[in-house]
Amino acid sequence: MIELLGRLVRKPQGAIGVVLLVLLAFACLLGPWLAPYAPEKMDFLGRFRAPGWQNWFGADQFGRDVLSRLLVGARSTVPMALAATLIGSASGAVIGTTSAYLGGRADEFIMRTNDAIMAIPGLLMALLLVSTLGNGAGNAVIAIAVAFAPGMARVTRAVALAVRNQDYVKAAIARGEGPGWVILREMLPNAMAPIVIETTIRVSFAIMLFATLSFLGLGAQPPASEWGLMVADARQYMHQAPWVLIAPSAAIALAAIAFNLVGDGLRDALNPRDER
Amino acid sequence: MRPALAISNYGLDYITSAGPVPVLRDISLEIAPGEVLGLVGESGSGKSSLAWALMRHLPANACEKGGSLALGDIDLQRLTAKQLTQVRGRRLGMVFQDPSTALNPTLTIGRQVTEALARHRGLRPREADALAIELLGHVELRNPAALMRRYPHEISGGEKQRVIIATAFGCKPEVILFDEPTTALDVITGARILDLFTRLRTETKVAALYISHDLAMMTRTADRVAVIKHGLVVEQAPASEIFRRPRQADTRALVAAVPRPERRLVHDRPEESVLLAANQIEVHYARRGLLRPAPPPATNAVDLTVRAGEILGLVGESGSGKSSIARALTGLARFSGDIAFAGRTLRSGDDMDRAYRRDVQIVFQHPDSSLNPRHRIGEILSRPLKLYGGNPVDVARLLEQVRLPASYASRWPHQLSGGEKQRVAIARAFAARPKLVICDEITAPLDVSVQAQIIELLLALRAETGAAYLFITHDLNLIRQIAHRIAVMRRGELVDCLPVEAFDADHVHPYTRELMAASPTPVG
Repeated sequence: MIELLGRLVRKPQGAIGVVLLVLLAFACLLGPWLAPYAPEKMDFLGRFRAPGWQNWFGADQFGRDVLSRLLVGARSTVPMALAATLIGSASGAVIGTTSAYLGGRADEFIMRTNDAIMAIPGLLMALLLVSTLGNGAGNAVIAIAVAFAPGMARVTRAVALAVRNQDYVKAAIARGEGPGWVILREMLPNAMAPIVIETTIRVSFAIMLFATLSFLGLGAQPPASEWGLMVADARQYMHQAPWVLIAPSAAIALAAIAFNLVGDGLRDALNPRDER
Repeated sequence: MRPALAISNYGLDYITSAGPVPVLRDISLEIAPGEVLGLVGESGSGKSSLAWALMRHLPANACEKGGSLALGDIDLQRLTAKQLTQVRGRRLGMVFQDPSTALNPTLTIGRQVTEALARHRGLRPREADALAIELLGHVELRNPAALMRRYPHEISGGEKQRVIIATAFGCKPEVILFDEPTTALDVITGARILDLFTRLRTETKVAALYISHDLAMMTRTADRVAVIKHGLVVEQAPASEIFRRPRQADTRALVAAVPRPERRLVHDRPEESVLLAANQIEVHYARRGLLRPAPPPATNAVDLTVRAGEILGLVGESGSGKSSIARALTGLARFSGDIAFAGRTLRSGDDMDRAYRRDVQIVFQHPDSSLNPRHRIGEILSRPLKLYGGNPVDVARLLEQVRLPASYASRWPHQLSGGEKQRVAIARAFAARPKLVICDEITAPLDVSVQAQIIELLLALRAETGAAYLFITHDLNLIRQIAHRIAVMRRGELVDCLPVEAFDADHVHPYTRELMAASPTPVG
């Protein structure tokens, strides 16, 4: 693990990604204490105040400090996206490995169902689910997880098929191990590398999808300072005060870039052929 | 006369994160024009590294430690990248171990042969085509003109190796490096490739460096043999002499490890009671599809019996269905027919209960893939103990049983050598206290000396536990040392099943005789 981290940091992209992630983690953990103002403190004299010494990133239509809202909002954006991705990836990985283990008609059935779900665009899928389950951050997490699982299942199945043919899996079956053990303990750990990489890349998609849902009014509800919601609110004042829009957009982009960079770095660090 | 290839005081290190690892030390070898020098050594002795050093295709972490490599009058180490392309293939050819990966799967055979000819002999496309057809015919390939239009996956492994040999000889190099050219092929195909090599070298008088771990094969091909161990040449002598009068201890150990059919290692008789009887076993891999019929079964109504405590050998070339039998007996493949075991009759894999699975264990061919790389040795060994009601504390005893230190329990599989991994796999099989252990080519990827140790271990375990073995192999010399009876398979059919003493008799199946003729017996 330590060695992996060392290899990850050695490449510039991995190092930048890790630094950005650490900053994000700081914002998530200590956001409310770092914020100079309370996120919902209105200041009618300071409406649309341009970035300056009073409000570093400017103020919005109610005179709320944009930086404070960003710092506090990190908590309701990044962990949500991470949770959605982890739930989606884990269930997708188990489905894919199970499908590869079962093989034959069961495999065919699972994968064709999977294909049918994959044919629905992720955002549409999430919209469908949220409108069925009801608005709210928790339901958005579930919707994104469901939208992500089929893609993950496909990637995992491809790797797990190769693992299925390894002699240690055959040995486990020949000695009478149950399917649970073979799938979770023999096959899944050996299909892990692409899953980890795919997951980190998907976190950034989840942040964006989450922001989109909030933007459409289906995720977090006002006055929450979730980043996507902030973009949605600021849209109508775009010409009047562009900074209210730019700051949360940049934050979303940075978080996405951070996870992407770490994902890229991990792909190289986990590949032993890249030793040179 | 100037030697065709001269290596003097050559040394090579690989730089790893743990510091430099010496691979070759002070190697001095000379090959006269028209001579074949055999290079024998265990895996990891550095013989393939030497071939790649001569080809000037070393990995980035290689570091050469002085010495010189000379091909005729040129110094190979001084060549620029551009000059190298003039030497590789044109003056120094190479034939690789695995023909299935040496040809590009997306190009036709014709394209790959003519490309080399056009490049190295400056022929125009039409001339190259004509010459390629002639060359392919010369290596005894039938209908070479049609073969030129085929892709590598459409021809057999032996044919691929012939194509590669034809290409290597076609460019008329001064020296050809052979890196274990028959290891990936089955015995009979390998023997035919060897005959072809012998004929071609008498015709062309090319010098060759022939790398192999198979000592018996060397006596047939090489004029002189050099034995290499841990990157050092320990002995060099004419091929006819090195096996009769090995001077160094290392050579003697290598020679002693070569299996000889006349030296029996098992002297007892098995019991009369039948342990397992397989009747009319047909193994099916794919089901009938919507539009296509089911493919023919991999084995054709095979009958086999194993007596209690018996060692039954199962031999045959690759694709003969011997591994399919192993898979059927362990429930890994679908089969028709039935298996009688311990008073019960099993008709499919679903009938195999825990008791049967405990009594019948399997050890696989490749030690690298038979141990889960994400589990420690201790976990791998404790699993069958938990499953079959043993005590997990017994892991140390299991390791001791296969002559490994108990501290190995906390190691990962990748920290073990191939032979050690195979010992762990054997320990895992014996953890269940089985009555029958199926050994599926378990010594094929190992060196002769490691193979001898594994065989010794298996025989000791048999004496201890009384287990019977179904020993699947393609090495007839090895199996004649240990088996009580030997079954011979060809194309899914059982052609012979004889007690081992009857193997020299006249009434053996012609195919069995062919198989024996193809197994090189060591000289001396």
